[in-house]
Amino acid sequence: MIVLVATVCAGAALAVVLLTGWATGGNNGVTDVAGSTSAVLYSAGHRPLAPDFTGTTLTGARLKFSSYRGQVVVLNFWGSWCGPCRAEAPTLAVTAQQYRPDGVAFLGVDVRDTRASALAFARDFGVTYPSVSDPGSVITLDFTAVVPIAGTPTTLVIDRTGHIAGAVFGTATSQELTDILAQVTGKTAGAVTS
Amino acid sequence: MTDVRAPEADPFESAAEPDERGTPNRDPASGALGFTDWLVWGWRQLTSMRIALVLLFLLALGSVPGSMLPQEGTDPAGVQQYYTSHPALAPLLNHLGLFNVFAAPWFAAIYLLLFASLVGCVVPRTFRLVGSARTLPPRAPRYLTRLPLSAEYPAALDPARAAEVAATVLAGHGFRLRRPADDGEYWLSAEKGYLREVGNLLFHLALLGVLVSVALGGLFGYKADRLLVQGTTFADTQSALDEWYPGRLVTAADLGPFTMTLNQFDASYITSGEQRGQPSSFDAQVSYTTHPGGPALAGNIAVNRPLSVDGAKVYLIGHGYAPIFKVTDARGQVVYNQPTPFISGASGNFLSQGVVKVPDAQPEQLGFTGVFVPTAVEIGGVLQSAFPAADNPAVSLIAYAGNLGENSGVPQSVYQLNTAGMHQLTADPQLLLPGQSLKLPDGQGTLTFTGYVPWVSLTITHDPGQLPALICGIAALGGLLLSFMVRRRRVFVRARASGPAPAGTDGVPSGVHSTVQIGGLTRTDASGGFEAEFAVLAAELRSAHDQAAANRQPEGE
Repeated sequence: MIVLVATVCAGAALAVVLLTGWATGGNNGVTDVAGSTSAVLYSAGHRPLAPDFTGTTLTGARLKFSSYRGQVVVLNFWGSWCGPCRAEAPTLAVTAQQYRPDGVAFLGVDVRDTRASALAFARDFGVTYPSVSDPGSVITLDFTAVVPIAGTPTTLVIDRTGHIAGAVFGTATSQELTDILAQVTGKTAGAVTS
Repeated sequence: MTDVRAPEADPFESAAEPDERGTPNRDPASGALGFTDWLVWGWRQLTSMRIALVLLFLLALGSVPGSMLPQEGTDPAGVQQYYTSHPALAPLLNHLGLFNVFAAPWFAAIYLLLFASLVGCVVPRTFRLVGSARTLPPRAPRYLTRLPLSAEYPAALDPARAAEVAATVLAGHGFRLRRPADDGEYWLSAEKGYLREVGNLLFHLALLGVLVSVALGGLFGYKADRLLVQGTTFADTQSALDEWYPGRLVTAADLGPFTMTLNQFDASYITSGEQRGQPSSFDAQVSYTTHPGGPALAGNIAVNRPLSVDGAKVYLIGHGYAPIFKVTDARGQVVYNQPTPFISGASGNFLSQGVVKVPDAQPEQLGFTGVFVPTAVEIGGVLQSAFPAADNPAVSLIAYAGNLGENSGVPQSVYQLNTAGMHQLTADPQLLLPGQSLKLPDGQGTLTFTGYVPWVSLTITHDPGQLPALICGIAALGGLLLSFMVRRRRVFVRARASGPAPAGTDGVPSGVHSTVQIGGLTRTDASGGFEAEFAVLAAELRSAHDQAAANRQPEGE
């Protein structure tokens, strides 16, 4: 009888779920960047801590992410095979140059890629900041535990304490990057006029 | 054996299928009926076996368009394509939910009605079973010889003692007994086979369980595909999966955080005889971690021998070859150097097609389309593969230069080359053996075919409903078997004094003899065998009576 009651209850619960869909909870501490559907800001106190990682850059140097602590970092997940990444590459290259005086560091994570193709990409688009190779998506996996990275490109803005303050899921525009960086650096980005 | 009516009012008999015990004279069509009567009639119909079967059939029928038409969840590109090729029909089909059958309201309606039908059938059934288990068997009929099975024999015992002996024997066989209140009669009703209803109930409950399990899989399960080249690693995260089909309540965060590296893949083939070229074994040797930073574990995956990681199962579902190309551009820079998976069709000894895209070659982007053959032969001037193993690998490529169309930001398939913005550099396909190079005209660069590695395609599935569905399936089968094999059967015993008591010295009716009548009936005897069981029981009762008589004779004389 208990089994029966349990089955009926499960059935009823199931019916409710099937008919109404799952109510999704509110995203606490996350706000959309004005005028953007894919960029978000995490308010202070709700910023997830970025996982640390070590890797090899495309030029063969060892890189430890925690050595960036104290700096604002723009972390871009990309691949030379990824069309939207190619589309946003010029924007990122320019923005990196613009924010260099403000001490904002740019770092790439080159996902599911090979060194030859990635270096050719960097040459092609004039990308001067380093990228860490992540052919097995292992670094991506670490970050997926704290932010919902669905694919490339994804751009995270990490504050001076190593917490993720903003994210762009998909092709990042100059405006989105500027808006997030203005919040994180506390400056209205004098270098940018747009 | 035909349906046997017990001679007295009987809960066992009323526990018939809802269909049979429906109220034929209260059909709404027959006359004035109130709203409640309509409701009762509707509920009776819904919970009838006939409607349940119709719903089950509709459920199966409803799944058909799901496998014939492209579905949003699994093949959004196919749906888009259907829209372009059938512009008039597609919106209509979409309106009917045929591009997302399993989420369509009408599908949910069938599913829920079937669920309600089963629940509505099982709940009253349970009460009836409990009721019938608590009700005593009916009184023994007066003349047992009229029952389908009967026996009669004399016993040198008085009727009370004879009934007592019979009760001991039948209780020893697990029968449930009913004996008369002290009314001067000596009889016994015995019933057995309650497991039949239990089996029936188990079957219905298990069917409900199967429905719930399937729903569990659909809500909380997922399926993902990933092509993995030998020597490379992937992580079980959405961005590293080629295809991902989550259940309705699954998010990317539910993926198990494992990583897996394909260390080596071996395939062997039958080399002679009629079966030549047929695969004889596959073995993918992998190492994996169950969570970031975890220890590397070794494992093997073969066809139908999946590896369980993080609650998911990783299946080997295909394999192929990835020729390795190295491309240098006009400036002499290495702009491409990697294995490139080529995809084979169902036949053709792994004659595989693929494309190479070199978006960062200067001055123009380069693209190649071509085939890889593991064992190259030329038949009538056409390159073919004679054997699936890589005995004589070769590629044949056509080179293009121009605009790949990638920089606009539109995602492309890695297996298709859009040549709309490109011009062909080589007139004919160029055949290359490992180590050979193709020099592009006008100093545009060089492509070298440096070798090949195998790849495997893996499917990662997580179905929390799988085990419950299996258990419920087995339980349903067990219940069905029980309800077929076990019979509800009754045995009645009546003892009557068969003559005047001989003049005893002390008036004790020790010399009273009885006539013992035994009758048996079973409601359904589809599997047969009650006749034999009854004969055995009758013989046993008789010998018990004889034994009891023999035991008391000496002290009685």
